[in-house]
Amino acid sequence: MNPKIKILLIEDDRDIVSFITTSLTVHDYHICNAVTGREGLCLAASLCPDVILLDLGLPDIDGYQVLERLRVWSSVPIIVISAHSEEDEKVTALDLGADDYIIKPFGTAELMARIRTSLRHSFVSVPDRTYRALGLEIDLEKRTVKLNGQIIHLTQTEYQLLALLAQNSGKVLTYRTIIHTIWGPYADNSNQILRVNMANIRRKIEADSAQPQYVFTEVGIGYRMRENENI
Amino acid sequence: MHNTFENFPKLKRHLYSFLLSVCCMAAAAGISLLYRRCMPKPVCANIVMIFLFFVIVVSGLVNSCLYGIACSVFSLLWLRFLFPPRSGYPVMFFGIIPISVFVNTLTSHLTAQAGMIAEHRRQLEEAEKEKMRANLLRAVSHDLRTPLTAIIGSSTAYLENQSQLSEQEKTAIVKNICKDSHWMVNMVENLLTVTRIQGEDLTVSTDIESVEEVIGEALQKTKIRHPGCIIHTKIPDQFIMLPMDAVLIEQVTLNLLDNALRHSESLAPIELIVEDAPKYVFFTVRDYGRGIPEDILDRLFDGSGRAAPSSDAQGNRGIGLVICETIIRAHHGTLTGHNHGKGAEFTFTLPKEKKESFL
Repeated sequence: MNPKIKILLIEDDRDIVSFITTSLTVHDYHICNAVTGREGLCLAASLCPDVILLDLGLPDIDGYQVLERLRVWSSVPIIVISAHSEEDEKVTALDLGADDYIIKPFGTAELMARIRTSLRHSFVSVPDRTYRALGLEIDLEKRTVKLNGQIIHLTQTEYQLLALLAQNSGKVLTYRTIIHTIWGPYADNSNQILRVNMANIRRKIEADSAQPQYVFTEVGIGYRMRENENI
Repeated sequence: MHNTFENFPKLKRHLYSFLLSVCCMAAAAGISLLYRRCMPKPVCANIVMIFLFFVIVVSGLVNSCLYGIACSVFSLLWLRFLFPPRSGYPVMFFGIIPISVFVNTLTSHLTAQAGMIAEHRRQLEEAEKEKMRANLLRAVSHDLRTPLTAIIGSSTAYLENQSQLSEQEKTAIVKNICKDSHWMVNMVENLLTVTRIQGEDLTVSTDIESVEEVIGEALQKTKIRHPGCIIHTKIPDQFIMLPMDAVLIEQVTLNLLDNALRHSESLAPIELIVEDAPKYVFFTVRDYGRGIPEDILDRLFDGSGRAAPSSDAQGNRGIGLVICETIIRAHHGTLTGHNHGKGAEFTFTLPKEKKESFL
């Protein structure tokens, strides 16, 4: 029998803890719970969990601080649980190294999906050099993009953008991360150039750019590419 | 440092008053001199009138009464210069001083009164906004209480009668609780968006956003909320960027789509149409259902037009629309709703150019 996947939940609200614990236990995960940030940091170091669920509003230390301290030594997937729907908060958490975020209130199904996604990312040691989803295929070695077998012509920037998203498929990349990676750290922080490039990509790969199949928008935060089916 | 800052506007005001008085007096002196020279038979009273006029002007425009008095003294001296002293001079002197003081007090009183009226009007407006907010809050709390009652009732019934209930009944109860809580989430989301519209003058912080992305996400969320729904979209092929608060506009689109799906009582596909006009972009949500009831058509956006009786948990159309209208108004656009013959149609516009915020 495979050892159970360990999940560390850093959250102080008892009702939420009990709901998450129940549903995760049913799905055969091993779950540990910390109620304060300090306890969470200790448990993260001693247990080496496979995924950490981190609530940002903790009684002792700020959730962002926990995130920062964890990221110093660990690359474990961290899913942030947030009570606010302000975009700034999510963007800050993602830029500090969180892999994903989930907003209260959330359902079990959504939580499970997020956990599975982040697990998939951490288990892939050597990522396959091809992204494949639905009819889209991106060969990251040959730098070619095919849609239903047909080669799609993209400009240099468009390809870089798509490849960056494909390499992080399933994860939200913030506008800032994308702009800094592609246009360098001194690029203008206005997102217009990114929007225009994204619109052009969508014109080329999506059937209906208002109902995208591959690159999803997270309004006010960034973009998320459909899961790579080739993992 | 702080002190100089404090004094600076005062100093500026005094400089302004001083210059104004000097200009007025110079003008009066010039005119009177001209009058004295050009007229064959100058009358002293006319010159007094000219000076009196300018003294009143100075008193009216300047706050401190010192300037008015100084001007009066100057005018008397000038009068003495133009017309050599006569017997009535002291009387005139003591006559003109009280007049200028009196005019001064009168005008400064008027200024103070105007300030008070403005302040009063501002307070009234504030109270109006506060009232609007309170109305909204009251309506919302009322609407929140309904699903809460249902949730409490169902869960209590479940806990108290567990042993008597069949599996089927239990599932039904829990399903109801789930449905009501989801509805409450929508409600709370709507409320949260309202807090983004900032206090006093109802402004939003806008950014240049891509229309298709915002519409796209709204469509995606609607499809999660209503699995199996069919929405036909018509969006211009060219790429449109508009100044807006993307989260709020997404919420408006979501609410309109949600309303169309819930209230049309029809399974016919709904349409979402984006049209590009020279100054505005039009967004239309059209359904092919029963339409908007006639009796609430003219009060759709004032919060009283609940489409369904409030005991029905689906009746949040009223609040949703009030919020939509507030959001669109804060963007300097318009939201209208009417029946197009085969169903309801809601259209909102967003201006292409960023306007200075005013309302």
